[in-house]
Amino acid sequence: MPGLFPVAVIVASLIFSCSKKDDGTEPEQPYQPHPYSLEIPYGFPTQLNIPSDNPLTEEGVALGRYLFYDGRLGGRDHPDSLMSCATCHLQQNAFECGTDHPVYTNGFTHGINGKPTPHVMLPLFNLVWNSNGYFWNGLVGPDNPDEHYRNIEDIVWMGVVVEHEMDSDTNRVRELIQSIPGYPDLFEKAFGSRQVTMRNIGRAVAQFIRTITSAESKFDRYLRGEEQLSPQELNGFVLFTTEEGADCFHCHGGSGNPLFTTNKFYNNGKDSLFTGPYEDPRDRYHVTGDPMDLGAYKAPTLRNIIFTAPYMHDGRFATLDSVIHFYNTSLVWSPYIDPLMHHIANGGTQMIPQEVSDLKAFILSLTDYQILSDPDLGPPEKFPDEE
Amino acid sequence: MERLIKLLFIAAAGIALLAGCKKETKITEVSSGKIIICFDHRVDDLPMVRDSLMYTNEAGNPYMINEIQYFISDFTLYGAGGSQVVIDDWKDIHYVDTDIPETWTWEVYDEIPQGWYDSVSFTFGITAEKNKSFMYVNPPERDMFWPEYLGGGYHYLKLNGKWLPAGQAYQTRPFDFHLGIGQIYFSYPDSITGYVQNYFTVCPPGSALQVINGQSTKFNIVMNIENWFKEPHIYDHDQWGGYIMQNQDAMALARENGHNVFTLELCKK
Ligand code: HEC
Ligand code: HEC
Repeated sequence: MPGLFPVAVIVASLIFSCSKKDDGTEPEQPYQPHPYSLEIPYGFPTQLNIPSDNPLTEEGVALGRYLFYDGRLGGRDHPDSLMSCATCHLQQNAFECGTDHPVYTNGFTHGINGKPTPHVMLPLFNLVWNSNGYFWNGLVGPDNPDEHYRNIEDIVWMGVVVEHEMDSDTNRVRELIQSIPGYPDLFEKAFGSRQVTMRNIGRAVAQFIRTITSAESKFDRYLRGEEQLSPQELNGFVLFTTEEGADCFHCHGGSGNPLFTTNKFYNNGKDSLFTGPYEDPRDRYHVTGDPMDLGAYKAPTLRNIIFTAPYMHDGRFATLDSVIHFYNTSLVWSPYIDPLMHHIANGGTQMIPQEVSDLKAFILSLTDYQILSDPDLGPPEKFPDEE
Repeated sequence: MERLIKLLFIAAAGIALLAGCKKETKITEVSSGKIIICFDHRVDDLPMVRDSLMYTNEAGNPYMINEIQYFISDFTLYGAGGSQVVIDDWKDIHYVDTDIPETWTWEVYDEIPQGWYDSVSFTFGITAEKNKSFMYVNPPERDMFWPEYLGGGYHYLKLNGKWLPAGQAYQTRPFDFHLGIGQIYFSYPDSITGYVQNYFTVCPPGSALQVINGQSTKFNIVMNIENWFKEPHIYDHDQWGGYIMQNQDAMALARENGHNVFTLELCKK
């Protein structure tokens, strides 16, 4: 193929030179969005989960950022009934709501009508490197037989319609956004049409989310050779990556997988019963039908974990200390426990207090403060109709 | 597009011919075919059934297998006349994962000269010179990384399952039978003084195979899982416990047992 490139260039330049107008006026601008170049941090995957029909463009990302932050995305414009993605996904908490949210007490979210979300939140960063399914149970992913549940684009319309989030309908959203001055222009720049569609709303927001990346923690700088970890953090790192130690790396990654998640699903030994009154209709089993997936959820990234309490899909642990305590002494056996949880043989990792605090120090070295204040990821100063 | 490329090629070939017409222009065409390697996993000669406590190993441990992930590399075919073909044109390391069907078939890119091959060999795992940290950044291979502190590079094998320890009625225990670079400790588990390469060469017994011009020869590499725990060493989970990445004695047994874990088998057309 490379041999064809020069030919293509020649043909293209011929076409362009022909279409140039001679009367001095600018030619009519064809739809020409600018590709957005996503930087791949050191050690990160080169494989990106970007659908071929929704490449990242500067214009798409910019529009997506407006929509992500616009309280009218729920299709209502009364000041009391605004809800945006950023109502729950706050930049200052690595795009979770945090435990100090005025409405969502202790980090438990609910929809505009008060209906609780079935699970607690997941943060939004480095999602462009996950091709293994989104949500705690991976419902939205490439293997879903229904093509409307395959990628972040789909999560946008889901957020709009589900009762425990915006509880709205897509026609209403489309019409409201269409009526807001400024948006049709932005849709035209991003997608070549002034007509606002739910599909293009989804595409724009998904593009913005794919640009949210986190790779500026102390540990990243250590990997790049720019900064040293403290002896305590280093010891914690050894504990994190050794079987004799805490062995967290098999599920949560490490130097060889700096996402700090495999994005895979495991039963990490919290409970013994998963059926009848204990059944969670949204565990991994209810996606795959494989009994070994009872009580299994995605092992979330441990990056920026300090901002994303409460922990586990049901938010049962309020602090990182209580999570480490759980892994250390309180594992629960069941036939469904993942085989990588070999520490179940002793009820936990059985670290001494010094080791527990070293492990915690290491996990905190995965904190990236830059993402919390990066202006490109934050709320826009003005919305399109305020320009 | 293809046409255009072909035309360009013909033109280029023409120019080359013109330029070099003094030289001998006899085209020595080597006839070649392709090979397709399929990976199959069996216990006691039957297809592996995962997640079921239905097996008993040589030591008498009842056990189940949940998943197997491994690398083989430097696959080599040995010609009847003494020739050798090493597979390395497109890639020289192949990853197999019992959870990912696409990894069970390796359609080898290399053109293999036609003829009979008496035997094959491969490295189980990855040799020291190739087993470099950070060479895989994408899943699934990425998730095989072996921690820097323990020697770096990648796991050769993760065989994850559970066994029923002696005296237990039903409460199984996980075993993570993981192979990779071993360590020598001055004082366990804190001070490492050296590393041990645990990869090994496998020459699977099996029939000779023929590569035919323009055709694909398909064969199975079968992992006979019970042999990991059988010969020459009887491997007892009750003795070695649930994890062995920092236990070179256990990994050495696995390495020695690994030699006769694989067999080669031609696929019927
Ligand atoms: C009411 C609070 C709330 C609102 C509003 C909300 N989300 Fe979420 N979001 C959540 C919760 C809770 C989860 C975890 C859901 C689960 O997995 O069960 C989540 C998960 C996600 C995920 C999956 C993350 C992952 O790693 O799998 C994405 C993507 C996402 N939200 C995007 C959005 C977008 C886009 C919007 C706006 C259209 C939005 N969210 C609005 C609460 C909210
Ligand atoms: C067998 C795989 C596995 C291992 C090993 C493992 N985890 Fe997890 N981890 C998970 C899964 C799965 C979850 C989510 C479970 C849920 O939501 O119910 C999780 C959740 C967590 C969370 C909460 C994340 C959040 O956003 O709510 C933390 C913190 C955590 N693990 C830390 C650790 C530490 C520290 C270790 C080592 C001592 C460890 N994990 C070992 C699979 C694992």
